[in-house]
Amino acid sequence: MLVVLLLLATVGAVTATLAAVDQRDVAAQWEERALALEAQRDIVDEQRAEVVDQLEVTRDALVASERDVDELEDRVRDLADEKARAEDTATTVQVERDVFIELSELISDATGALDSCVTQLFDLQSASVEAFNRASAGQDVDIETLNVRSAEGTRFCNEARTTAASAEAAADRLLRS
Amino acid sequence: MSPRLRIGGLLFAALALAACVEPPTAPLEAPAAVETEDFELPEVAATSVERRAQEVTVRVRSLGCQQFGLGSGFVLADGVVVTNRHVIEQPREVTVNTWDGRSLAAEVTGLATDTDLALLQLEDAGDLPVAELRTAPVQRGEEVFAIGYPGGGPAQVSPGRVLGMVDGTVLGEPAEVIRVEVEIAQGSSGGPLVDRDGLVVGVVFAVEVDAGIGLAVPVQTLLERLDAGELVAPGAC
Repeated sequence: MLVVLLLLATVGAVTATLAAVDQRDVAAQWEERALALEAQRDIVDEQRAEVVDQLEVTRDALVASERDVDELEDRVRDLADEKARAEDTATTVQVERDVFIELSELISDATGALDSCVTQLFDLQSASVEAFNRASAGQDVDIETLNVRSAEGTRFCNEARTTAASAEAAADRLLRS
Repeated sequence: MSPRLRIGGLLFAALALAACVEPPTAPLEAPAAVETEDFELPEVAATSVERRAQEVTVRVRSLGCQQFGLGSGFVLADGVVVTNRHVIEQPREVTVNTWDGRSLAAEVTGLATDTDLALLQLEDAGDLPVAELRTAPVQRGEEVFAIGYPGGGPAQVSPGRVLGMVDGTVLGEPAEVIRVEVEIAQGSSGGPLVDRDGLVVGVVFAVEVDAGIGLAVPVQTLLERLDAGELVAPGAC
């Protein structure tokens, strides 16, 4: 019985020794593995630090670009505003020019009518002086012709008055609008 | 301890040692590329919304029969511009100025009869960005922005909040209008009221003078008029 036990103990001791040797190798492998993992961790840490640096640089660049774009857009808006206001002024000037052109035409019409009136009055005056001289010299005077010229002068002058009044009213309306 | 126990312990220890630790088997992998989460830059996103909203907002110059008017508007697809009716009534000549200095000729294609809305058609819209409309109604307290050209000046973005809806019939509107706590001045009329995503929720058309509260026609009213085609041609001088 004791021999069997001793045999078993010997076998056990040998097995344990073999297992210990094997485990020492395993431990060495695990140590090697741990060192490799540590090296990898250091690499990842370095990569992370680099990426963080890159992100910060990118972020700074983005903020700077955003600021630049904002400033440029502000400038574009200011220029667009100046252009739009200049167009407003041009439109207003155009409207004023149209008004003045219309006024000029109205005044021209009124002036033309008054000129016709004055011409008629001069003609009537000349005819009247001639008739007076003829009457003084004892010659015949055509009163009917004088009356026709007088009526014609009156008509021209009334038309001139109407045209002038119309121009005045139109000018008033245009300048007030 | 008896010899039997000692021998048994040795055997157990031997078996335990043999079974306890396995050698590393999986190959060591190279470190994977570092992945980062998406850049979260809310301030840039907010700036983008404002920028986009300004790009779709235009300045409207109308030379009418008896008056010269300035207002705002915003661009929809196919060169259509939405503005207020009171900005361009009885037009002789309408010009649209974009934020970047373009001047585009436009024609009034329709005036709403029962709400302060009007549509213009640009002769050449080019590559103008287009506004997107939101069909869902605004909520009380919702953050919004009014974009326009107050005083005919540069485009201005005014932030504020929706105070609620108010009966629009006293203002000549067919339905409720949006009451909004936003700085609005003459010249802002016709400009869009947008939500924080840049979607148009209303068309600015008036201001409560005493309280300085802005009023806007809801987009729903605009969509109804567009769908029904209830728009009339402008009158002649």
